[in-house]
Amino acid sequence: MEAPPVLKAVGLSKSYKVGHIRRRLRPALQGLDLEVRRGEIFGYLGPNGSGKTTTLKLLMGLLRADAGEVQVLGRPWLDPAWRYQVGYLPENPYLYDYLTPREYLDYVGRLFGLSSRERAERGRALLERLGLSHVAAVPLRRFSKGMLQRVGLAQALVNDPELLILDEPMSGLDPVGRRLVRDLILEQKAAGKTVLFSTHILPDAEALCDRVAVLRGGRLLDAGPLSQILKLDVSHMELLAAGLDAARLEDPAIRVRQALGERWRLEVEERSLGAVVRAVEAAGGRILAVQPIRQSLEDYFFKELGGGSAGPWGGAD
Amino acid sequence: MKWRDGLLVLGLGAAMVAAQVWLDQSRGSLTAGDPSLYLWTGTQVKRMVPGFESLFADIYWLRTVQYFGGQRAFAQNQRFELLYPLIDITITLDPRLEIAYRYGATFLAEPRPVGAGEAEKGIAILERGVAALPDNWRLRQDLGFLTYLFLHDAERAARILDEAADKPGAPYWLRTLAADLLVKGGERQAARRMWRQMYEQAEEGIIKENARRQLRQLDALEGADALTALVAELTRRTGRKPASLADLEASGLAKGALVDPSGTPYEYDSTTGKVRVSQRSVLWRP
Amino acid sequence: MGRGRLSRILAVAANTFRETVRERVLYNLVFFALLMTLSGLLLAQLSIRQDEKIIKDLGLAAMDLFGSMIALFIGVSLVSKEIERRSLHPLLAKPLGRDEFFLGKFFGLAFTLLVNTSAMAAGLFLTLLATGRSANPGLVGAIYAIFLGLLLVVALAMLLSSVTSPALSAIGTLGLVIVGRFSDVIRNMREVVPGAPDWLVKILYYAIPNFRNFDFKEQAAYGDPIPLSTLGQVTLYAAFYVGLALAAGLASFRSRDFE
Repeated sequence: MEAPPVLKAVGLSKSYKVGHIRRRLRPALQGLDLEVRRGEIFGYLGPNGSGKTTTLKLLMGLLRADAGEVQVLGRPWLDPAWRYQVGYLPENPYLYDYLTPREYLDYVGRLFGLSSRERAERGRALLERLGLSHVAAVPLRRFSKGMLQRVGLAQALVNDPELLILDEPMSGLDPVGRRLVRDLILEQKAAGKTVLFSTHILPDAEALCDRVAVLRGGRLLDAGPLSQILKLDVSHMELLAAGLDAARLEDPAIRVRQALGERWRLEVEERSLGAVVRAVEAAGGRILAVQPIRQSLEDYFFKELGGGSAGPWGGAD
Repeated sequence: MKWRDGLLVLGLGAAMVAAQVWLDQSRGSLTAGDPSLYLWTGTQVKRMVPGFESLFADIYWLRTVQYFGGQRAFAQNQRFELLYPLIDITITLDPRLEIAYRYGATFLAEPRPVGAGEAEKGIAILERGVAALPDNWRLRQDLGFLTYLFLHDAERAARILDEAADKPGAPYWLRTLAADLLVKGGERQAARRMWRQMYEQAEEGIIKENARRQLRQLDALEGADALTALVAELTRRTGRKPASLADLEASGLAKGALVDPSGTPYEYDSTTGKVRVSQRSVLWRP
Repeated sequence: MGRGRLSRILAVAANTFRETVRERVLYNLVFFALLMTLSGLLLAQLSIRQDEKIIKDLGLAAMDLFGSMIALFIGVSLVSKEIERRSLHPLLAKPLGRDEFFLGKFFGLAFTLLVNTSAMAAGLFLTLLATGRSANPGLVGAIYAIFLGLLLVVALAMLLSSVTSPALSAIGTLGLVIVGRFSDVIRNMREVVPGAPDWLVKILYYAIPNFRNFDFKEQAAYGDPIPLSTLGQVTLYAAFYVGLALAAGLASFRSRDFE
């Protein structure tokens, strides 16, 4: 027997009114169906302006949907009970200038009805886990964007949620921060929790997600395991090498040679990978990376849809 | 959802209005003014509102008008002790506000319950007005009127009216009025003309009402005098004083109902033979 | 769940209090209010009589003026700022109802105003004490009435700011507060504008918040007692109007989209 989905949305739609005199309707989301299963890390992908943030805001109740039904953790959307088990991090969170992280987490804890002991304990633990213990009593207005993001994550975890919903959690973070977020998401999965996060950066999704959904122009294009959606060409590998003039390498297995500044990108038949590696080393070069050839998200859009994407300024997100 | 909200808002709105009505009843129809408004003298206020004198003159003027009525009957808690300070501040802030001088002076001079009964203060206000607006004939006219009607100083009044007659736009009859004042026996005539002028110059409102009443009072007095003369005539003819006004009526000397302009019957004192206005009449004056 | 609601509202209120109390503008305004009260001492020296009255007048006027400015400033930013800055977003995702949030904000500011008004009242009493005078019950009544007026300013500010932009709601609230102080002029409008139709005057008079209701400064300054029944009626009026403004503001806030 399959467990019920942790999140289920059917026919979710939202349009915005645009303009002051003659109000036109601009659709931001049209008939979205989405399902997130228990214990998975679900990536919600799409270019900027595709409606990802709109979707998440609709789920959390910040926006009113025009149509659609949502169930969270098996409960109807209007039932406030599921909110006790869900954590949400909005994009670019802004918190209160004059509160300290400790006070903020205490406040959030009160909204969940946690006892003062629980609040203190959870607050301390989260601040430590997110590396904020040393600034626990510093007013939030002094925090950098990266640190605010961490506090944002902390508040999303105060209630130890079954389902964590994150909107562009890695945006604006430095590599240390990104690593922290990635580890945290993996930790959640290891603890049996479910994570849904949106991003437009493919490598993040690749590294973490079990399944993804792809959104564009307010419509769901596809959903399923990432490898299914973004075709992997496993018969060929991509090789990144440096320190040699690969133009002089002679090997019929090398299908493509591309110079990227001081480095070379080679596409090689998989079965000849070993031989090419040896040839590179023999020529005095270094192998930097080897990976299967994959489509980029942009390629996918371009190719699958036969046309430009919505563009950086088009549509709500 | 929207239904419930709308109902709640309406319900609270109705309750709010009810509370306001209740509050108004117990606090009187005019709530008290800010004490800071009349705490200071005119000069002090003027110093405090540089650049906004005209605006504040308007505000004080509005307050004055509210307190002392216009169209409607007297407000319930008139506070005459406020009248002089309010007028003082108003005309200090805006010395060219003619209506404030005239209105203020009239209300200050009129005896209670119409006005404050402080004729000297009213005269003082007008004197300031005459100083501030020297070519204004109306202010001098009012000054002359008040001087005669309330201070009973015919000579001074005549002089002032003469000055008024010299000012641009002054009507011709001011000079004859001034002359009348100096003639013995012309007082009532002069008074009548003054009240007539005030009646005609005033806009609808308390001042006009008051002038109308003054004229009717004069009419009542004249009616009483006329009847007294008729009584004297009847006495002369019959050799004795009539016992009552009914006798006068019966004699045919007096035509029409023997009532004053308000419809109240005159009173007759058979011992002195004098007819006077009944104390019960609204036109009675001490 | 009733207890949960209350504790959440209180949590929002406490947080609002904490946040507003740390805004520096608040301190500046309270400081100026106290300054104005103290200047009453100076002026009292200059005048021959009425020194007690001057101190009370200035003190109450300061409380009213600066209290209104605080109420306006914070009332508008309470909701607007949260919406604009989006600090609201993570909170609404929690099991926190929108009305709980809205009401909590109001109570938080009400409490802030209570603290401010008390501080300014203390300043006034101390100033009076310095001249050897004491406060009379009428003074406390007048202060209470001023406080009620401030609550109404906040409720109006919150209503307007949940409907329109912060700038417009600030202007609108300010306009209502100023016009509301001339309620008696409106009521007697026909004295000055005889042509005004009676029904229009009545509607305007009752609709516009009547801030004159909260003005007992004269009685307090002259030492008159203020009847408790009158204060009770004023409280009723304030309660109903505040309720009305909050209900309307809530209705708008509940159905809003937060982009």
